[in-house]
Amino acid sequence: MFEVRGLKYKYPNAQDYAVDGIDFEIRQGEIFGFLGPSGAGKSTTQKILIKLLKDYQGEILYRGKKLTEYSDEFYQDIGVSFEMPISFSKLTAMENLEFFRRLYKETVDVEPLLRRVGLWEDRHKKTGEYSKGMKIRLNFVRALLNNPKMLFLDEPTNGIDPVNGKIMKDMIREFRAQGGTVFLTSHIMSDVDELCDRVAFIVNGKIREVDSPRNLKLKYGKRVVRVEYRENGNVVSKEFTMEEIKTPAFFELLKTKDIETLHSGETTLEDIFIKVTGVALHG
Amino acid sequence: MAKLGILVQGELDRLRKYNLFTATTVVLLLWVGMTWLLEAGEVTAFVPLILLMDSTMMSSLLVGATLFYEKKEHAINSILVTPVPETEYIAAKIIVSVFNSLLTFLALAATAYFLKGVTFNFALVAAAVVVITAFHALLGIWFAFFSKNFSSLLVNLMLYIIFLMLPPVLADLGIIGEKIARFFIILPPDAAGTMLQAGFATVPLGRLIFGFVYLLALSAALYKYIVLPGFNQYAMRETGV
Ligand SMILES: Nc1ncnc2c1ncn2[C@@H]1O[C@H](COP(=O)(O)OP(=O)(O)OP(=O)(O)O)[C@@H](O)[C@H]1O
Ligand SMILES: [Mg+2]
Repeated sequence: MFEVRGLKYKYPNAQDYAVDGIDFEIRQGEIFGFLGPSGAGKSTTQKILIKLLKDYQGEILYRGKKLTEYSDEFYQDIGVSFEMPISFSKLTAMENLEFFRRLYKETVDVEPLLRRVGLWEDRHKKTGEYSKGMKIRLNFVRALLNNPKMLFLDEPTNGIDPVNGKIMKDMIREFRAQGGTVFLTSHIMSDVDELCDRVAFIVNGKIREVDSPRNLKLKYGKRVVRVEYRENGNVVSKEFTMEEIKTPAFFELLKTKDIETLHSGETTLEDIFIKVTGVALHG
Repeated sequence: MAKLGILVQGELDRLRKYNLFTATTVVLLLWVGMTWLLEAGEVTAFVPLILLMDSTMMSSLLVGATLFYEKKEHAINSILVTPVPETEYIAAKIIVSVFNSLLTFLALAATAYFLKGVTFNFALVAAAVVVITAFHALLGIWFAFFSKNFSSLLVNLMLYIIFLMLPPVLADLGIIGEKIARFFIILPPDAAGTMLQAGFATVPLGRLIFGFVYLLALSAALYKYIVLPGFNQYAMRETGV
């Protein structure tokens, strides 16, 4: 879908590049994630890809054609969820959606979407009276309004409770299952781990690593099996590497001891992020 | 151009929902009431003055107000990612401003005609209102570009009006000589005043035509060189409104 080469961007009046020479591609039908700490340049990259920031250096191809050559019809194809609420506060959710719905050629029925994210009951409430989480959920519905082929989701679960977060993640996966492509940014490790086919680690406007979460774990992670068992009234914990679990010692332990828990210990994506970039995702 | 109607309707709808329409209606009723109370002779002096205020200052302010809340609520971002070109979005704002000014014109003209029996050159004044409003709506967008918040927009517009109205006033008082005063028509508020005055009294034809051509040319230049090129950057700039 997207090919990005040598992308650089500096805000007017800014000293440093917010995006500092990055290359990546987003493949058709995948969920591609940008994982990075606050200020890394995630939102800036998204704003460039959706043609809101224009004076960038480098090349961006969308479906093989330069992004700059697309007219505003480009927006028929894409859906955008911003990191901040974007609705008219004195209009109800329905009035907001209705206004935007009429600006597109093709649109979807909003009722199933609003029901799914739990806003149907409050659809006639002014969005100014919505909570932060409700506004972000409405953003998500707004993004899906024009039946887009590609979704841009900037921190889609930020400020969302776990139940609704799970619903939204399910919806994102369903969108991909129907052939949609997703660009997603986050500083929340689990979002990226659960959703993304591939993830880019971004710090200070630079990409440090791009791969699938699974491959990253294989490459940087340490995989062990941790066994906890009871011995003489004490809980004892023992770790075995993937090689060691094939040895008799491991089976002997399982057979003879009072096993309490058995875990496969994977290095988390967050640990790997720190290992690769030397920067923590939070704080 | 297909979406223009929807955008205009959306703007009008929001003027109502954000109570801006109520505010302008209250002011309008005030002016209608004052017109009604005046002597017929005073009406012809009062109406052009009100129309001047309404088409200049009020038009700029109203456009600025809508821009500020759209930016503050980031709704502008949502509009920018629809298949609507910026040209149509700006056009919708101008059309709505012109519509509002014409409403004021109609109310005042009707009051003057039906209640006071005062007539004036309705067509000429209506045309003047359209051109003056279009220019000042664009000016309002431009001022919004460099005003930090709504009150600074208000102050900047006041300075614009006071600063540019002052020379003609000084001329009227005889402080500035006739020779120089003739050229004050290049100040947009003065040109606007002349255009409106022409509907009520005799104004030299050359000055009248100059006023129209001049404000139209200024509008075109403002749109092409300042408002349209600067719009995207303005919309994307994070302000602490
Ligand atoms: N409108 C702007 N003007 C100037 N600088 C900006 C602007 N927006 C962002 N920046 C700067 O650009 C850099 C990248 O910001 P960006 O918003 O892309 O980060 P982010 O990765 O999305 O962070 P977060 O997780 O906090 O949303 C930061 O240093 C930020 O201060
Ligand atoms: Mg961000």
